[in-house]
Amino acid sequence: MTLYYFDHAASAPRRDEVTEAMAPYQHGVVGNPSGMHKAARDARRVIEDARDQVAAFVGAEPGQVVFTGGGTESCHIAIAGVANAFRRANGSAHVIASAIEHHAVLDCVTTLKRDYPMITSDELGVDSDGVVRLDELSSILKPDTAVVSVMNANNETGIIQPLSALAQTLRELNPKVVTHTDAVAAAPWLDLAESTREIDLVSICAHKIGGPVNSGALIIRRPLPFDALIPGGGQERGQRGGTVDVAAAVGLATATQLIVKERAEATKKVRNFQKQLSEALSQLPGCTLTAPTASKLPGTVHLTFEGIASDELLFLLDHAGICASAAASCSSGAAKPSHVLGAMGVSDLKAKGSLRLSMGIETTQDEVDYVIATVARIARQLTPA
Amino acid sequence: MSGGVDSSVAAALLIEQGHEVVGATLKLWGGVSDSGCCSVSDVDDARRVAQVLGIDHHVFNYTEEFEKMVVAPFVEGHAAGNSPNPCIDCNRHIKFDLLFERADRLGFDAVATGHHAQVVSKDGHYFLARGADNTKDQSYVLGYLREPELARLILPIGHMNKSAVRAEAERLGLRTWNKPDSQDVCFIESVRGREAFLRERIPVTAAAIVDAASGEVLGETNAAELMTVGQRRGITPSKDGEKRYVTRVDLSKKVVTVGRLVDIMTTEVILDEQTLTFAREALIDGQTVLSQWSAHGKSNKGTLRFDGRWKVVLSEPARPVAAGQTIVFYNPDEPELVQGAAIVSR
Repeated sequence: MTLYYFDHAASAPRRDEVTEAMAPYQHGVVGNPSGMHKAARDARRVIEDARDQVAAFVGAEPGQVVFTGGGTESCHIAIAGVANAFRRANGSAHVIASAIEHHAVLDCVTTLKRDYPMITSDELGVDSDGVVRLDELSSILKPDTAVVSVMNANNETGIIQPLSALAQTLRELNPKVVTHTDAVAAAPWLDLAESTREIDLVSICAHKIGGPVNSGALIIRRPLPFDALIPGGGQERGQRGGTVDVAAAVGLATATQLIVKERAEATKKVRNFQKQLSEALSQLPGCTLTAPTASKLPGTVHLTFEGIASDELLFLLDHAGICASAAASCSSGAAKPSHVLGAMGVSDLKAKGSLRLSMGIETTQDEVDYVIATVARIARQLTPA
Repeated sequence: MSGGVDSSVAAALLIEQGHEVVGATLKLWGGVSDSGCCSVSDVDDARRVAQVLGIDHHVFNYTEEFEKMVVAPFVEGHAAGNSPNPCIDCNRHIKFDLLFERADRLGFDAVATGHHAQVVSKDGHYFLARGADNTKDQSYVLGYLREPELARLILPIGHMNKSAVRAEAERLGLRTWNKPDSQDVCFIESVRGREAFLRERIPVTAAAIVDAASGEVLGETNAAELMTVGQRRGITPSKDGEKRYVTRVDLSKKVVTVGRLVDIMTTEVILDEQTLTFAREALIDGQTVLSQWSAHGKSNKGTLRFDGRWKVVLSEPARPVAAGQTIVFYNPDEPELVQGAAIVSR
């Protein structure tokens, strides 16, 4: 069966260029970059080349890039690193995360509060367009607010967040607060050097941009009190212990280079597909395009089908060869109501029938045509008479 | 596919029979659980079995429906002093209403499960029959199924003994082959029990425990809602040293009445007419029936009567059946066959 892959936001297809660039470091002697011999020096050299490329991708200095084991780890060590250092210095710490953050962020905050009663948190709400309510900041900021985390773009809906305005607001209200952004979903599409320029900490990962899983980076744009979650070994300037995976770093760096090279072309092509899908599918009975006027990543189309269960929609799409997502699933693999849609005030009835189609540079017009025809057929089949 | 051995083998047998099979696991309980099905590791087991068998596997989320149709009625039933059976509600409303509806929408011809029960065809009609393994028979919890569902239901392991099911699973290399049977209500933690679960969800009433014959107050309970008619546990024997059993729970008067075994024995079980369901033909006043009111209990001979209310008049006295429990009727002439079901009323 032909596979129609419309789940790039879950994991993008691994690029051949990435696989080839990683290959030399997947067999035989790959030195430990911390060692004191030729093999180690060679490995270290490759890692620093990769670091330069990742730094350029986000508009940072190489010394500000910390290689990690992926996006979830980056987000977690960022928030825990700042909150714990602040708590130790001040006796307490307050964390603000937007209500639409990925669970990498939300569960980090929950865990911090579980482990340290002196850590508290507040949620920054979003409006019905899924955009953070910066006007709420003044009322939820506290004297001990250590870090504010707002994602660059949402992973479920693709809605872009006003990071520059966030930074501006915080500079006025409390310039000491550290900012973090989960830029994992935005990385394939936005110029992070621009979009995250005013944000202190930036999390990215490789497998959403055509690189390997278990590879990511945390960018720390300025010196700040930071407690490493796993200090052991002192690698990455003491901010993330553990031997750096040479192949993983190369994979991430290669993927970033491809994104930079192809972004303009990919954006132009996929924007057009996004428009076609949005226009055609939102005509279907019961179908609503999520936040139609909000500013979104080109690759994501998010819809809700009132009266249809996502479980059933995805089942039949799967049988037609279409890989798509309901955007939220629990540890068992079952679809579950999305906290993102909940925060936007989307009704339960609609949220239960949510569908995310996400694309990349390889997506073709034929695939888009097939998806439009197939979703239309299946939605009609499932729509209650 | 619950992630247990029975549904694993059921799927394997269907494939062997040449059906086009897709595995589905229902995610039902979202809360804490340590016993029954639908934990992440059970879903993992089901998924792995499906992989080994070479079939697709999907997880369907019914947590909200389960809460509404199974857990809430269980809690509300207890709050009203009844003893509902959540497994029957789950089979009836989730597995055989919602799942059948979904199967229809998704274009499936039949639904199969790993229950120890059988669908038999007789005179052009479908009936539910007991599973071949007496000790595992689950026809009781499926007692509400009717012909339209039975016609589309396949129970591939109903003719097998449990040991044969396990042997087949082992032969096929399925990792569930020696997984212990689930016994308890899936959403109740075995360590904390039913009482702890209910105490968190319903206001409980303290009540005096009063002996029916002497009027003597034997003690008190701090949760009358959790006392069941026929229960002996937690009741101090009277001065005469004889055991006492709950005969009545009166929440409004805050009294739990107890009596001796001879006092509680009864020959009458009142049925809630609205819940009376027949597998095919309606049973009539005066008809002989075999009644069973617990999953693996014995079946009791009796007569169905209607005198303004439906009731079963038992041939032999039995301990009282708590309101809210389900009675399943089996055919006295063919005691393997289910004839209908009803919920016990007060």
